[in-house]
Amino acid sequence: MVGRLFALGFGLVLLAGAPAQAGDTSAAEACLRTKVWDGYAEGWGIRTMATTTLNLGGTRNYLVTLYKGNEYKIETCGDDHFANVDVYLYDLAGQVVRRDETSNRQPVITFTPEKTATYYIVLHARELAAGSSDGSVSMAVTYR
Amino acid sequence: MAHFGTGLLFAVLLSGLAGCTEEAPPPPPVEAPPAEPVKNEAPPLEAIDPAALKSDDDAGLVPSVRETQKALDAAGLNTQLATLIVERDIDVRNQNLDNAAVRTGVIIADLLLTVKDAEKEKMVANLNKVKVGMTQLNGGQDIIDTIDDISGRVQGDAITRENLLKELDELSGAVIPELEFNGQVRVVPLIQAGSWLEGANLVAKACKQANNPAAADNLLKQPAVVDYFIRYVKEEGSDKAPAAITEKLDASLQVLKGLSTKEGSFTAEDIDTVIKTTDDVLALL
Repeated sequence: MVGRLFALGFGLVLLAGAPAQAGDTSAAEACLRTKVWDGYAEGWGIRTMATTTLNLGGTRNYLVTLYKGNEYKIETCGDDHFANVDVYLYDLAGQVVRRDETSNRQPVITFTPEKTATYYIVLHARELAAGSSDGSVSMAVTYR
Repeated sequence: MAHFGTGLLFAVLLSGLAGCTEEAPPPPPVEAPPAEPVKNEAPPLEAIDPAALKSDDDAGLVPSVRETQKALDAAGLNTQLATLIVERDIDVRNQNLDNAAVRTGVIIADLLLTVKDAEKEKMVANLNKVKVGMTQLNGGQDIIDTIDDISGRVQGDAITRENLLKELDELSGAVIPELEFNGQVRVVPLIQAGSWLEGANLVAKACKQANNPAAADNLLKQPAVVDYFIRYVKEEGSDKAPAAITEKLDASLQVLKGLSTKEGSFTAEDIDTVIKTTDDVLALL
């Protein structure tokens, strides 16, 4: 009984003591910026970069218009509060056009549209690191 | 009956005492199963009802002019948009918010398109105009300092054109869209509208020059982009007297919206319409 009380109490202490994990925005941005700038050597240019904070299972949707004839790379960097970030490209009919198949926090997808159209890039906080309640993730759309 | 009752009570008390004094055998130690690690994991996403698909952030919706140049190249038109830029002395000083934002957007587009070849003095002059625009728009001291820093390095030949290109791409694609402009949510879309309009004007001219109007199909048919601009030009600004540029911009966008949803390919007449309607706005700057 004492053991159970201890366990419950310790659990409560752990819960009470766990800080609301704020995402590390600067780490996510610095990581992405390095990747994007390195991409210039291979002919990539930046369309946009943005950073957001996501809870477990949380999503962030970005509307983008992508040109036929250009190759696009959607790069992301999640901070170390994440174990796995997913990135998807949806068409306006809600169908998945591309998705990353990795289980890490820096997924990348590439896409070459067959016609100029509008899409949604969806970032998804698939898995958080132990003890984290949210994390920051930066996303860039690059093209060449 | 009374004796039976007393006896029963006695028996109950005895059994109770026995319960207190007899040690219960300790339960056999049970080894707890290893705790399952807590999975801080969510299921993957699947197809989404299109009605439920909503954008949280539209700032990345609009292609950059450099990206448009790439798509133009891919369409087989070997025209450098920079060569089609009309020389204008755009004054950003003492403008209201709408005018300052659209004008700044046009200057940013010209800067991006000419970054590799423009003369240093021209580049510095345009950077200064963007700085004035950012000041007018209450972009904050950080962006002013950033532009001053870039400008100083251009003047001092302390930055290569390749690195300047990266920094200007980042400035227009990442830094400016994140600025709050004193809570004026229209500023970023109007800056983007200025840049996009300049790009659309140049693309239409390139298609005309190449006598290839159909090449514009994948370059100018962007209904979501046009809707985004109209939303901010019209709805968000309906609480104030429309400025001349905003009125003209709205009219221009309505024409472009019609063309962007048109069935079939662009004709030479469509291209002329795009040139005229965008020229009408740009001529006011």
